[in-house]
Amino acid sequence: MALNILMNFDEINNRWLVEPEGEIDIYTSPELKEELSKALDDKKADIVIDGEKLEYIDSTGLGTLISILKITKENNNKIYITNIKPNIRKLFDITELDKVFVIEE
Amino acid sequence: MKNDIIRLTIPSKPDYISVVRLTSSSIASKLGLSIDEIEDIKVSLSEACTNALTRTDEINIKFEIFDDRFVIIVDNVALPEHNEDTLIRESNLGILIMKSLMDEVNFTEKGVEMIKHLKDGNR
Repeated sequence: MALNILMNFDEINNRWLVEPEGEIDIYTSPELKEELSKALDDKKADIVIDGEKLEYIDSTGLGTLISILKITKENNNKIYITNIKPNIRKLFDITELDKVFVIEE
Repeated sequence: MKNDIIRLTIPSKPDYISVVRLTSSSIASKLGLSIDEIEDIKVSLSEACTNALTRTDEINIKFEIFDDRFVIIVDNVALPEHNEDTLIRESNLGILIMKSLMDEVNFTEKGVEMIKHLKDGNR
């Protein structure tokens, strides 16, 4: 399975809504990085990643999120991660990235 | 004592790693492992392959099924050198993930050996 990324700007709450669908791995993470950087170039804002349709993420995907987090931090923005599946939550816990991103149940 | 071996070789290209994931989950499910354990194996093996990508032209994976354990050997997987490089940081994350999800992870000169114990009644 590949990756589809739905991106929308939420004008009311002034933040990016990102819905990745499928797998974020070494093959698809460059695409995610490009989409997210483009969005931040366009508008500096918080990012909300909705993980409802995210089936899989690996270390390269986590690495991509860390590099995007660096950009958002420079802008004093945050990355929120919501609705992630237990198998993906487990990876955030293992790598202690649950302390770096704002994970909402 | 059972010792069944399955071998898989893929070109060192990122797009084939999903094929390895599918293969590993299919073998693991045949062994009667739980959904969580299958997921652990899938993620760990994927990390091992990602680690091997830049070191070799083709990635060799060997699945060994014993009565009491499922062993996966991947060649050309190595621990990263100490550095602040982005790739190295991801590689460290990958190894941390493998070590956390598998029962045993042993690095050898050739690569890595990852083991999941099979409980009685799994098969």
